[in-house]
Amino acid sequence: MSFLDSLSLGFGLVAHWQSLAALFCGIVVGVFAGAIPGISATMAVALTLPFTFALPPIYGILLLLGVYKGGIFGGSIPAILIKTPGTPASSATVLDGYPMAEQGKAGKALGMALYASCTADLISNLALILFAGWLASFALSFGPPEFFTLILFSLTIIAGVSGASLLKGLISACLGLLLATVGLDLVYGTERFVFGDPNLMGGLNFIAVLIGLFAIPEIISFIWNPDDSHDKVRSLGQHHVTFAEYKRSFKTIVRGSLIGVFLGSIPGIGAAPSAFLSYSEARRNSPRKANFGKGEIEGVAAAEAGNNGVAGATLIPLLALGVPGDVITAIIIGAFMIHGLQPGPMMFMTNADIIYALFIGLMVSSVLLLLVGSVAIRLFRFIADIPRSLLFPSVLVLCVFGVYAVNNSVFDVVVMFLMGWLGYFMLRVRMPAAPFLIAFILGPLLEDNFRQAMLMSGGNFEILFRGPITWFFWTVSVISIVALVRNELRERRSRFAEEPA
Amino acid sequence: MKALKYLAAIGALGALLAGPALAEYPERPVTLVIPYGPGGATDIGVRALSGPLGKIMPQPLLVVNRTGAGGATGSVSVANADPDGYTMLAARVGSHTVNPAMKATLPYTLDDFVFVGVFEINPVVCAVSESSDIKSIEDLVNKAKENPGTVSFSSSGVGSMLQLAGAMVLNAFGLEDPLDNATHIPLKGGGEAATAVLAGTATFICTNSSALSSFVANGQLRPILVTTPERLDGFDAPTAAELGHPELEQLVGWTGIAGPKGLPEEVSAKWRDWLKQATADKTFVEQMTKRGSVIRLMDPEESQEFINNQYETFKKLVDELDMRIEG
Repeated sequence: MSFLDSLSLGFGLVAHWQSLAALFCGIVVGVFAGAIPGISATMAVALTLPFTFALPPIYGILLLLGVYKGGIFGGSIPAILIKTPGTPASSATVLDGYPMAEQGKAGKALGMALYASCTADLISNLALILFAGWLASFALSFGPPEFFTLILFSLTIIAGVSGASLLKGLISACLGLLLATVGLDLVYGTERFVFGDPNLMGGLNFIAVLIGLFAIPEIISFIWNPDDSHDKVRSLGQHHVTFAEYKRSFKTIVRGSLIGVFLGSIPGIGAAPSAFLSYSEARRNSPRKANFGKGEIEGVAAAEAGNNGVAGATLIPLLALGVPGDVITAIIIGAFMIHGLQPGPMMFMTNADIIYALFIGLMVSSVLLLLVGSVAIRLFRFIADIPRSLLFPSVLVLCVFGVYAVNNSVFDVVVMFLMGWLGYFMLRVRMPAAPFLIAFILGPLLEDNFRQAMLMSGGNFEILFRGPITWFFWTVSVISIVALVRNELRERRSRFAEEPA
Repeated sequence: MKALKYLAAIGALGALLAGPALAEYPERPVTLVIPYGPGGATDIGVRALSGPLGKIMPQPLLVVNRTGAGGATGSVSVANADPDGYTMLAARVGSHTVNPAMKATLPYTLDDFVFVGVFEINPVVCAVSESSDIKSIEDLVNKAKENPGTVSFSSSGVGSMLQLAGAMVLNAFGLEDPLDNATHIPLKGGGEAATAVLAGTATFICTNSSALSSFVANGQLRPILVTTPERLDGFDAPTAAELGHPELEQLVGWTGIAGPKGLPEEVSAKWRDWLKQATADKTFVEQMTKRGSVIRLMDPEESQEFINNQYETFKKLVDELDMRIEG
């Protein structure tokens, strides 16, 4: 069967109103579920799965993909409006999105989030269609040693999101690393900082830490100092993104999308690290570096491009190898299997029509996301107009419910409030929260992959230098650390020069 | 006489009040805790069951995930709940036979639970990468004997069935001290464990057939052993019994429903009936079979015996190989 035959067969499968309806429903469900803190994209996909059993395979899978993509974008809405990331993937969006909402540019931030998401989605889908085979073999050459060096390099992001003081950023990162060690040891299964409490055996819940660190400190500061004076600024949220702004951010969006495609095609990393990496790269390359973290629209674009760039690319290992890159794609593999389809290299021969139908559906989904997203933004933007004295109590209720719903555990709610106080303290001493979060995500990955690599080699460090991939990441890590130290020294010198001693 | 009448009246009144309450479990929604995350094998199986189950039960069934520590967090929350039948657990091989056998500090034991039925069995398959020169389990064990330390197996974490299965198979086929002569590489989750073999990070994996079926069908992994009594469709590999080790048939995954210790007999009887009806549901059986599970309902006594046997086998192995986790 030639390429064109498969393509036309695929087109025949997907060109029905039902497949469009399935995608549309999926995206709507995803955007709204993602917008509710505590309902992650993963949970939304898992809850949608039973509905796909009765549908023909192509509709069912398109429905799930719609939920996935919608969910990743939906998470950015509360991240921008109420500083509460709806999904872990959108935590990088908070950094510039919320300051923008504070300045009355909520509409602009949301618009940019949507355009960046859709562009990244499109690029990611194109990468899937054109380079799936090549990227999949690249992904498979990522063993624990390669992972270790990649994450080591990613940790240099911390410097990019530390704000004014690198030292405070590092302290924040250390706190994150420390709290991430709670739970069971990966290799020996022994308990670390569990204190005999079964609730702590599983470690601290990520969503609880995330919401506690970002949303709760805002609420505590409001209780400390209740005034609605900011509202005049906030309620001016009717700005739209201009084409010039989109054009200015376009390079950043493409860069973020490519980072997303690479990280997404490697199983086991996920969207959050990709969003942070894209953000820090954007900051490093931007002429408006100083404005990052204070409401820079390019920061929002970078973060959203980074996390949505992952969405299409996670299908690369799924379709090309049959390997689930994360929990969401594991659920989607389940949906394939229920319909008697087995994703993997053979599927390109046995069910090429379904693969091409999926490809076409995916391209359509980027357009549908743009439509659904614009409507959703119009609805949600009014949140920015609600006075704080009404908004914050509702946010608090939403946070408590959301965190409880993740694991149906009151303990997680307690964790959220404790993290909230820690976050408030950090806010008061101007210690940035983002390094904490990055360390909390990446620390355990770094440790696990290091120890897996050591198990593989029997304790020989040489394994960390095997192959060109490890050497590449070692080199870029060294370069970024050197650049960092040099910048820091230069800034310090210029500060000394300004202040006469 | 009057007093007696009075007493009888109270008794009748009491029976009237208490009678229906006892006879008509459930009076309110029943919570079913899944101790693993959404989208995992346990979650998908139990949610598929909850479809027909929810229709049969007179009260709503609330399926909730309580994730953490290899199933321990969710399990202990049910072990500590009131044994009134309103908090039940979807128990799994990892949380209820492997973990209790391996972990000294686990906050619950098998005795803290009453099983109302095992409904799903997952055959276990061992596989190597298609590009590997290992063609049979004999090749694998020989390689480990000749070059100690070159053979490794991946698992979804410490205390998972995959870890125990790898050690058990090597041990059964005559590799002495499998923990010293082969390397266990724990990963996060079953998907990563299978990928590790595909990418060459680990030599082999022993896990549920459903996790491997698409890799085998695609010619990426080569099965070398199945632990079912009969050969398994889609897996061209000898059974454990054919190779002279029928004791490995103990090595199967399962999912069952359990309640806290002290669960009333009526509750257990109700669940037995519900499970019987639910597992007869055609769509449910079809879905699960396509995923590679075998639907087989055991009654409470049989379930208890099956689980205790598996636990004893695993515990003996853990003692023998000194695999216990003390800290």
